[in-house]
Amino acid sequence: MYNSPVLFDKSITIVNKFTPRNERRKFVVISDQAGYDQAKSFTSEIEGTVPVECLSINGMEDKEEIKRLILSQKMGTQFYIAAAWNNAVMIFSLGVEAGLSEAEIQTVIIGPKRRYVYCMKCFEVSEVEEEAEIAECDHCKASLEIGPFYSIVREGYIGYPYIPIGKVEVGS
Amino acid sequence: MFTQSLDFKTTDLNTFPFPFTSGNYRYSNDLKKLSNVNCIEVTPEYKLQVETKRRLLEEQPHIRFQSFSHTMEMQWEVLEMLIDMAADRYPEHFEVIKDGDKWTFKNHIFGETDSFVYGDASTLPNEPLDYIGRHFHNDFVLMVHRDSNFYLEVGQVSYAALFSANWNKGMSFDEIHAPVPFVSRKGDELADRVRKFLLSIEPGKPWTRINWNLMADRWDVNYETMDVWGPQRSEITPENAGKLVRLRVEEQKFYRMPRSNAILFVLNTQFLPLEDLTLRQEWFDLTYSVLQDIPGPMAEYKGIAPFLPQSVEYLRSIDEKKKAKINNK
Repeated sequence: MYNSPVLFDKSITIVNKFTPRNERRKFVVISDQAGYDQAKSFTSEIEGTVPVECLSINGMEDKEEIKRLILSQKMGTQFYIAAAWNNAVMIFSLGVEAGLSEAEIQTVIIGPKRRYVYCMKCFEVSEVEEEAEIAECDHCKASLEIGPFYSIVREGYIGYPYIPIGKVEVGS
Repeated sequence: MFTQSLDFKTTDLNTFPFPFTSGNYRYSNDLKKLSNVNCIEVTPEYKLQVETKRRLLEEQPHIRFQSFSHTMEMQWEVLEMLIDMAADRYPEHFEVIKDGDKWTFKNHIFGETDSFVYGDASTLPNEPLDYIGRHFHNDFVLMVHRDSNFYLEVGQVSYAALFSANWNKGMSFDEIHAPVPFVSRKGDELADRVRKFLLSIEPGKPWTRINWNLMADRWDVNYETMDVWGPQRSEITPENAGKLVRLRVEEQKFYRMPRSNAILFVLNTQFLPLEDLTLRQEWFDLTYSVLQDIPGPMAEYKGIAPFLPQSVEYLRSIDEKKKAKINNK
């Protein structure tokens, strides 16, 4: 569905530290190599409180296994993801595909998050620095002011075109 | 290539939805029951506006029309409503022949006849709403009701005011009315009240409200061309404001669609150059009074801050000339 949640740098699912949701019947913790320590520390913390199932993955090659694990869970399961950005996006997307809501997932990103801007000139997405306020479109080279609004349909922040001082452009 | 130079204005003032009723304007929940349920209007500018709209849709299809593929059935429902309204109100201009699912729609103003199978989009040159929308000067936005909110799933927009169908596709009513770029907005609570009100609209009982703005020598201002119209706004002077600045009025009509339960927004946008306000002294006085009194944040929100002082200065000079003339008599 077009309005299914997507993982972006300000997603509500992203947390600095996992919070145990003890009202849930079970926890599933999925981590990659980068997130292994974070996952281990969390499972130690909650030991003996709620049943836990853990999965350590390497990357895309483990997609089917992740899917199987998510689909085999019953309602009331809380999911925890500790991974580098690309793997976190993959796991999160598989969870959403399986019907999970953002409230059922907590994600700790290890390393940098990725951020994208949607160019209002050519309708393409470009990756931008985490704190950048302006950018140049990778596709049409338009100068863009990065707005505060995110589109889950376009999967990027709005990029308002502007003409930098000294640059002349013609358009309608 | 489409030129944004505004080549039309409302000539029949009786059809211009003048927005002000007092000399002091603030955001308000000004929704009213629509007295004439039929939204189709043929004004003296009909042909010019529709031709311009069609040109925009041809030249900028991704900017001017957006939809999701699952909306076909909802679009057919809108097509049916608009065709029936047109044929009902203006039988001399529009005609529909329904032979089961085989329909023929005639637009006598343009001398066009189209036959298609109702429900089969492959028999139309465009998606149903995109097709029928090209026969009327209005903008059409279909907001689908889900989880106590409305989501933009179809939009045909040729008169944007800080809006983009491409960007807003799939957004909720709340997201669309989030604060405008880099400006805090006083109207946030109003947007929430309007959304709650829209939830209560029933089929067959449409509502209306009027939105207004000023345009500086532009047909519309969308996000796609911000780099162009942003700097242009400062080219307005008190000397050219009378011709170049238009009072832009958007009459919004809201229909609950009985089958899909979506809300159809029908937007009638009309323009009046500031210099034409003198044709009705009451309109001139009200507009002059309102524009003098616009708070800074509202001017920023409406995108008129860079040329509002020049526009007010123009109106002041006209007002002074008129008063001097009276005193000299």
